[in-house]
Amino acid sequence: MRSQLHFDAVVIGGGMAGLTAGTRLAQAGAKVAVLAKGYGSTHLSPSTIDVLGYTPERVRSPSESLGKLIAERPDHPYALVGVDAVSDSLSWFADCAAHGPLPSYEYVGGIDRNLAIPTAMGVLRPSAMVPSTMAGGEASALGTVAIVSVPSLREFHPALCAANLTAAGIESRALTLPMAVERADMNPVGMARRFEDPAWRGHFCAQLLAQLRTEEHVGLPAMLGLNDPAAVVADLERRLGRTVFEIPTLPPSVPGMRRYEILRSALRAAGGRLALGADVISHERSNGRVTSVSTHAAGRDLIYVADWFVLASGGFASGAIELDSHWVTHERVLGLPLRGVPEAGSPRFEREYLTEQPLAAAGVAVDAELRAEGTENVFVAGASLPGATPWREGSGEGIALASGYRAAAVIAGGLRTEEGVAS
Amino acid sequence: MTTLSTEVLVIGGGATGVGVAWDATLRGIDAVLVDRADLAEGTSGRFHGLLHSGGRYAVKDPRAAKECIAENRILRRVAADCIEDTGGLFVTTPFDDPAYADTFVAACQATGVDCEEIAASEALASEPRLHPQISRAFRVPDANIDVWKTVWAMGHGAQQRGARILTYHEVIAVHRSSDRVTGARVRDVRTGSEIDIEARVTVNAAGAWAGRIADMAGVEGVRVLPGRGIMIAMNHRLVNTVINRCQMPTDGDILVPIRTVSVIGTTDQHTDDPDDHTVEQAEVDRMFDDGEKLVPGFRQARALRVWTGVRPLFEDAKESDTDTRDVTRAHALLDHEQRDGVGGFVTITGGKLTTYRMMAEETVDAVCRHLGVSRECTTATESLPGSESGATYRLGERLQRKEAALQDEQVICECELVTRSSLEEAMRRTGSTKLDDIRRQLRLGMGPCQGGFCNYRATGLLHGIDELSAEDANQALLDFLQERWKGMWPILYGDQLRQVRFDDWVFQGVLDVAHAPGAAGAEAVAAEQPS
Repeated sequence: MRSQLHFDAVVIGGGMAGLTAGTRLAQAGAKVAVLAKGYGSTHLSPSTIDVLGYTPERVRSPSESLGKLIAERPDHPYALVGVDAVSDSLSWFADCAAHGPLPSYEYVGGIDRNLAIPTAMGVLRPSAMVPSTMAGGEASALGTVAIVSVPSLREFHPALCAANLTAAGIESRALTLPMAVERADMNPVGMARRFEDPAWRGHFCAQLLAQLRTEEHVGLPAMLGLNDPAAVVADLERRLGRTVFEIPTLPPSVPGMRRYEILRSALRAAGGRLALGADVISHERSNGRVTSVSTHAAGRDLIYVADWFVLASGGFASGAIELDSHWVTHERVLGLPLRGVPEAGSPRFEREYLTEQPLAAAGVAVDAELRAEGTENVFVAGASLPGATPWREGSGEGIALASGYRAAAVIAGGLRTEEGVAS
Repeated sequence: MTTLSTEVLVIGGGATGVGVAWDATLRGIDAVLVDRADLAEGTSGRFHGLLHSGGRYAVKDPRAAKECIAENRILRRVAADCIEDTGGLFVTTPFDDPAYADTFVAACQATGVDCEEIAASEALASEPRLHPQISRAFRVPDANIDVWKTVWAMGHGAQQRGARILTYHEVIAVHRSSDRVTGARVRDVRTGSEIDIEARVTVNAAGAWAGRIADMAGVEGVRVLPGRGIMIAMNHRLVNTVINRCQMPTDGDILVPIRTVSVIGTTDQHTDDPDDHTVEQAEVDRMFDDGEKLVPGFRQARALRVWTGVRPLFEDAKESDTDTRDVTRAHALLDHEQRDGVGGFVTITGGKLTTYRMMAEETVDAVCRHLGVSRECTTATESLPGSESGATYRLGERLQRKEAALQDEQVICECELVTRSSLEEAMRRTGSTKLDDIRRQLRLGMGPCQGGFCNYRATGLLHGIDELSAEDANQALLDFLQERWKGMWPILYGDQLRQVRFDDWVFQGVLDVAHAPGAAGAEAVAAEQPS
């Protein structure tokens, strides 16, 4: 006999959208479980909050450009959630970060103006909100810059970064410090642990000071500690006498792991439960309502019975939406109908890589309240939604946050109605 | 204008052309080789990797079968390091005519192709993913061959003996002096500079493009009909033995395990343009269906990449000439002095990778006649550089080498275990600013992530070694990104589509390469910021 667990709401997916929806529901008083097959997009992404970067023209002010986008593309997730949900969810997230488990680590910015912060290629990428440790890299604040790394980090090439920054008008120079580590390959997570050690930082800064000239700013790969990055940055700035900022690296993403901790902590604080390694393998339906989902985890099956479900399992990247070898597209968790899939025989992809790919905007069909088509109690958030191309638009986190936030609000409204009816 | 002078000019840097240069230098003949692109970038680099036993041709083309088994035995010795001795199986599946098997055995005996029948249960025990209802199975000495390794080994060997190899030099004119070809003018496609090459003999080894070179030489009737075929690499060794359907050769009936993948092939579509790399949906579907017949569940595996190759199928439009009749059906050697009265010019075309050495030998024999010298071919006994020990390649060798020094060196491409030092060495040695050139030498970016991680890392190294400008470095990354995409988009489904979405995150999200200086989407940002 399989165990049954009862919740008000079950969220499927532990990425940005799922954790946001789960936390918001828990904060609204619901009994919530977030079921995650594994870590979500958090550990991959640069962890900035990108609301709208390109339309495809570079976006200066997301709040101004969102209105036009919503008017022109009624199927876009932002058209469904509205600008207010974007704005409110960003404020809410900034609050979670400010009161989260990482002291003094905050998210700065907002939807009125995009910041322009360097990528590891040295491209100035537009983003609405960034961790305080990255904010020092804002292009308009940069004078002369030293881009610094260590040879054992493959995920970051300071010379290439500096060359592109210089090409963009920011005078930059690359420095590679021959810091001794016991292995030739270090990823950013391993380096982040080093930077938590004050002795390491002292050694690092001594080497760096010997090479710095008149540079006013020091850019480092995003590896300045996992647990208290703000203190690490403050310490480096004090030792170096210059502003220090982080630049996102290839995955694994250290700031992504921090962001995960912020949201997980918020979920826990609100009383929500998170089950990792919980792969949803089947579900029950009755009269247009999903009544339960079953997971297989830790060698046993569990049945989660709930009144409401949020599907935040991601798109093609997570595998929750799949194109099979017969060129048929499926939503694999709940078998929900999709929207935006190119018709059979028409192109799914273009020959050019850096262009709009026809299949890219496919997602779970929803109504104006993010309710999945054909269901009464399943709401959809994040990359599962159709109509957006997050990596091209620079909109992934904005959509995840706003739709997770909005889905939770719709469900919370329903919960209140039910309570009202009951009492 | 620079002028070079040589005894033999070889046009075409495929296996045959490089084989000619290697053979010629071993015989003490000075050679210059030119190719419009990199070595083995045409047909040679675009096949499934099968070193034929001859079994495939035993029934249909006995002469080709005899050539294959003879060359198979030779290459196992002289190119050992490029060959993995997987062995091959011909299996009668429920979809094949059961009567063919006896015809096949008789034909193998007649052509000298080693063939041993084993119980179907034994075949299934060694290759458990094969269709469980196979009724008969035959072992043959098929193997796989790494063509880039082979061609570069010969190329380096030839260079060490004084040959000059000019890649990225296209022929823009073939020089004639009344009744002789006297060389060619080539243009460096990267810089635009031109070189005149004087040669006593010119070898047209341009494969599917040989008709064009013959036209430039004013020689008529050399018609090469390009036959286009697709191949798909699946992301596993679905089998560890080369698997052939025991039937008359047709499409999609070979599965070749090579390195860490298995390649299914192929199709045959007539095309007018040897540079036509169209992949039709119907061809892809056909390959998947055929894969299911060999290995049930084939569609559940991950398709990594599709590519096309063009076979150079020679048709002599000058039928009245008697001298070409005695060339084999498998390949064609045209001595234009005999055929057309044009001296100093030889065309070698047709054929297959397995018989490249024999084709080169026949060609250099003809070159020797033109030069009036008599020197024995030694390529059947002289090992290629790197193959001197005679030990064939074993899957896992690279991993074993890497594990011996696990913590000591960076791996830039995890999928193909390409180390930083080997990458930097190749970048310095080749001087190439194209990551795709490096790929063909080291297999960079050829694994499951198709460059998702290594592209940025390798670009960073390239930027430093070649002292590239930011824009040129960005372009190297963007070109490699597009080159990898080219082979993926027609077969994207399942887990490989997941992989591509992940790569989108990296390139378009984390790095924002679409807006890098030099890229189409770039614009000045800093200049517009308040100062």
